[in-house]
Amino acid sequence: MTATAPRPITSGLDPRFALSLYAHVGEQGSWTLESYRARGGYQAARRALSMDPDRIIDEVKASGLRGRGGAGFATGLKWSFMPLKDGRQHYLLCNADESEPGSFKDRYLMSEDPHQLIEGMLIAGYAMRATVGYIYIRGEYILAAERLEGAISEARAAGILGSKVLGSDFDFQLQVHRGAGAYICGEETALMNSLEGLRANPRLKPPFPAAAGLYGLPTTINNVETLCAVTHILRYGASWHAQMGSGKSLGSKLYQISGPVHRPGVYELPMGTTFAELIEDWAGGPTEPIKAIIPGGSSCPMLPYQQDILDLPMDYEAVAAKGSMLGTGGVILIPQNYCIVNATWNLVRFYAHESCGKCTPCREGIAGWMVHVYEKLVRGQGRPEDVDLILDMSDNIAGKSFCALADACLGPVQSSIALFREEYDHLASTGQPLYPRQSRWLGGGAR
Amino acid sequence: MRYFDDKPELVAAILAKYPPQGRRSSLMPLLREVQTALHYVPAEQIEEIAEIVGVTATEVRAVMSFYSTYSTVPQGKYHLQVCATLSCALAGSDELWDDLCETLGISPGEVTPDGLFSVQKVECLGSCGTAPLVQVGELGYHERLSRQDLHALLDALRRGEYPGPHSPLPVFVHSGQQEDAAGARHGAELKPLGENL
Ligand SMILES: Cc1cc2nc3c(=O)[nH]c(=O)nc-3n(C[C@H](O)[C@H](O)[C@H](O)COP(=O)(O)O)c2cc1C
Ligand code: FES
Repeated sequence: MTATAPRPITSGLDPRFALSLYAHVGEQGSWTLESYRARGGYQAARRALSMDPDRIIDEVKASGLRGRGGAGFATGLKWSFMPLKDGRQHYLLCNADESEPGSFKDRYLMSEDPHQLIEGMLIAGYAMRATVGYIYIRGEYILAAERLEGAISEARAAGILGSKVLGSDFDFQLQVHRGAGAYICGEETALMNSLEGLRANPRLKPPFPAAAGLYGLPTTINNVETLCAVTHILRYGASWHAQMGSGKSLGSKLYQISGPVHRPGVYELPMGTTFAELIEDWAGGPTEPIKAIIPGGSSCPMLPYQQDILDLPMDYEAVAAKGSMLGTGGVILIPQNYCIVNATWNLVRFYAHESCGKCTPCREGIAGWMVHVYEKLVRGQGRPEDVDLILDMSDNIAGKSFCALADACLGPVQSSIALFREEYDHLASTGQPLYPRQSRWLGGGAR
Repeated sequence: MRYFDDKPELVAAILAKYPPQGRRSSLMPLLREVQTALHYVPAEQIEEIAEIVGVTATEVRAVMSFYSTYSTVPQGKYHLQVCATLSCALAGSDELWDDLCETLGISPGEVTPDGLFSVQKVECLGSCGTAPLVQVGELGYHERLSRQDLHALLDALRRGEYPGPHSPLPVFVHSGQQEDAAGARHGAELKPLGENL
């Protein structure tokens, strides 16, 4: 970068910041092809189809885009792992399983503006020589699946999907596959097993999907938001994308916030926006005192609700430096007077329910012992030594499970004990929570 | 009673979504058809689906048991699912659940005597910004549900009227601009690459 390079955009209040992903969410009929075309839809795909596929991958690399599914892996680099045209069928999968508690951004991308996802998949498919794509959408997303199916039919009828896409020599078939209620299907290899009609146990890696993925063939899988961002990168340029963000986290991102704030919701902001801006300027601030913040979905360790954390830019490295993760960008605020053991038990229960049972540390450790000890504690039947027992179990599970699900469960467990040990000890020794349960159903959303 | 015998086009359309070596991929879509229509998957349909896909009934059962959507016992006409995960718990889903079970007089696994309702606690439904919520079977989400809303919904369902989903968008965008908490709108205009060249 030269000395005259413009200052990066790291605030949604910066007058240079423009919405892309959510710009048309909430507009009447925004999900139709007519609306999409009226605002320049599918021009990015036209441009891409006139390019050499490798140049598209270069452009995605230059944009700095990193996967929005949680891990933040560089998208262009991932695409470059796909073999060159080798005569075999290549697959592109879209991960629309969105089941990480606190995450609800992909849902509205698909229900409100599905054509940008179709366009992103066309571009990605062309770049990776994949002529068949599947969108694996969680079974509960009824409206989003309907809108996607509708948009795909419209695109087929208009020659945007199928053979000779937009009059080019490229063929691309796109199908929606609906899940049936299992969080683990979001893990990329479990998703492939599920799509093949098997139980959704994760597969051993390597081989990685680019070598042997769906039906054993070269496959790349990306999150919904990642693929939508690709559309905008091809439309507005890699340097437009790279001008937003801080450090190595670039572009526009959908942040979600839930829990007791005035305006829970999804906000599109440049990466590097601070937690404080999201919580105060956009979500209108908390409705009650807060003690902890889950920065990016339930798997991310909790952080204390204090100034140095609130001032952090929401980028992958800055959050990691504080011992947590940015994950999906799904922020959850935990109120001061909500028992932290109860809050953590809620998540442990989630992971226990979603453990696929394949490996011993997760099946016996999380779904067996961990949830059992938490249940005892929450019922007031714990013993003082149970807190150390939880920590000891955590040490024994950490890093030993087949996939990341068990470690994901340890995120809230270990962090909540580190931050709020006195609440655990109090409950374990007296049988009474420091913060007893109170009514929270405020007429159900009188907010 | 066979389910798919008089629906050859439907079966063909499902099979056509997958390559020949991926015939098994049709398993979940076929199960979904039956689950949606009959509110469970009877043993006979498990056999039928196994036949179509070319696997054993035991394999179909093994897949079914992995996912929480499929049921081998009849559910109510309206299967009411309440998300119990953290963001919903923070918005009162525990109370919602208790109220629902008390009002209907049933626990999970039971169906009301009129065959209308069954209940299930489920995990995060991706509505954390519009919590708490009830999902009515295959019909739709009812989000930001108050006690009054819940009872109005139950009354309508009892009358056999499904009022349609209720899914307010937790998004504050208006014509390309995002509204901050103070009501000011932000967002520059974007020009596609070609127009700058
Ligand atoms: C237990 C588990 C659940 C996951 N759930 C999701 C999910 O629901 N959606 C998603 O996009 N990625 C999910 N992921 C991440 C995916 O495995 C994968 O990294 C991602 O889809 C890659 O896309 P990206 O590079 O565009 O982010 C999950 C990972 C794990 C370990
Ligand atoms: S926690 Fe209930 S919808 Fe996410």
